[in-house]
Amino acid sequence: MMPFFRARSTRALVIAVAALAVLASLDAALHPMLAQNAFGGPRPAAAPEVGGIVGWLLARQSEFYKEISAAIRSAKSDGSAVWTLLAVSFAYGIFHAAGPGHGKAVISSYLVANQETARRGIALSFVSALLQALVAILIVAIGAWIMNVTAKTMCSAETGIEIASYALIAAFGARLVWTKGGSFIRALQARPELSMAAAGGHHHHQGHDHHHGHGHAHDHVHDEHCGHSHGPEPEQLAGPGGWRRGLAAVLTVGVRPCSGAILVLVFALANGLFWAGIAATFVMGLGTAITVATIAVLAVSAKDVARRLSSAREGSGVLIMRGIEFGAAGLVLLLGLGLLFGYLSAERVTCF
Amino acid sequence: MATPRWFGSLLLAGALLAGASAAEAHPHVWVTSTSELVYSADGSLTGVRYAWTFDDMFSSYALQGVETRTKGVYTREELAPLAQTNVEALKEFDYFSVAKADGKKQQFLEPVDYFMDAKDGLLTLHFMLPLKVPVKSKELALDVYDPTFFVDFKLAEQDPANLVGAPAACQIKVQRPADGTASAQVLGEQNFADGGNLTFGVMFANKITVNCP
Repeated sequence: MMPFFRARSTRALVIAVAALAVLASLDAALHPMLAQNAFGGPRPAAAPEVGGIVGWLLARQSEFYKEISAAIRSAKSDGSAVWTLLAVSFAYGIFHAAGPGHGKAVISSYLVANQETARRGIALSFVSALLQALVAILIVAIGAWIMNVTAKTMCSAETGIEIASYALIAAFGARLVWTKGGSFIRALQARPELSMAAAGGHHHHQGHDHHHGHGHAHDHVHDEHCGHSHGPEPEQLAGPGGWRRGLAAVLTVGVRPCSGAILVLVFALANGLFWAGIAATFVMGLGTAITVATIAVLAVSAKDVARRLSSAREGSGVLIMRGIEFGAAGLVLLLGLGLLFGYLSAERVTCF
Repeated sequence: MATPRWFGSLLLAGALLAGASAAEAHPHVWVTSTSELVYSADGSLTGVRYAWTFDDMFSSYALQGVETRTKGVYTREELAPLAQTNVEALKEFDYFSVAKADGKKQQFLEPVDYFMDAKDGLLTLHFMLPLKVPVKSKELALDVYDPTFFVDFKLAEQDPANLVGAPAACQIKVQRPADGTASAQVLGEQNFADGGNLTFGVMFANKITVNCP
């Protein structure tokens, strides 16, 4: 009994320490990059001194959002304004998702942590965005249209869903950290020079604990690199598990509706144009999906590059890849916890 | 030593965190604010009487499910529960108001005399926000803004702020943020990288200053 518990707690400790280290280095790496350009693309050509890309995105979003309400207003008297509504909603969806937000961060981190393909990344992005649209439509259809509840009631429902969604992200992240942490530690042990250092230095005691952890944690982690030091083969990267595994990612992200969509839907309903609001919400979701998918593909490709570069290095290459996956898993957990406890604010649900 | 693997991790981290930095902020609610700064007989400011008019989209949302005797006509009584919900919810956001007397931040009590009315589909929330301690000062500054920029406050074009019962020598001045879109563009990424976006609504602040020499 004792070694089992000790091994487990040591593993948890090592995971936590390693997670901090990975995130700290990610953060350090990121700051200079963000300072230059948040999205890694070219700077906007016009007025580079004042052209903060995030600020610019916010300004566009703000404009499109205002145009959505204007389009609904004019659609009341002029049916052709519905086309404007759809076009603006689509643009809003694209820009809205391009701003800082947790949905794409969770999906991208999940893809990286789980050796997923770009194709699956695109599919997950679309399914989660459409689910998000559907939840918003259902809330307004059931709450406002059928039951005619007040905004306050509807908002409480939204808040409840939001908290549940953050808890889901944290739980999902914790699971990823647990499994990826195991792989990471095993990759760490498999690295010859590191094992030697651990055996020779003050890490001696810890090194032993690793081995306990290894034996007991083996059952629930599918790791093909147990004790071997070779780069991952392409066929190993497709990853088993099928759709069920991706479902968790889709649910955690997609279940939380966008408050903007809810406002638009209620406004459309109040103006007798609920159907136009529904169409607008779906189109908005489509726009969001395109952006999220683009970022997801970017994340997967970046990992591919990292893998190709690191596969040339015996042993440490595996370690790097496991480290990256572990870091991504840690990110999902931190995002979930941060959102849940209010350290990170996503677009908040306002109940007033 | 710029190793390739370092470059790879950088790429990855960038792609991952491009969206993960922090708050998502663009206004969902627009408020046009007018205010009266209310003074007592001895010349100290006792509080601010606000009238906040919401945009039509948010007004529709807030009016959803409110029962009325006549469809589309909302009386003060019918809107009373909504007004109460509003002022209670506003507490969490410190009433989006920051008052400083000669540079010293003032505390507010809970709102009194609150009610709502709806005209042409636009909701207006009226409430009196009393200062915890009435204050006499040479310079008083009142900022109205949402630090997270979820709510976009704008001072009304006409009579954005008035003095009520203030000493005759007092002068009121109103300062509006530059055009919101332009300000949004001026915001650099650095604000976001530093987590500065949590307070960047202050750049959109509407400042009312009263000078009483």
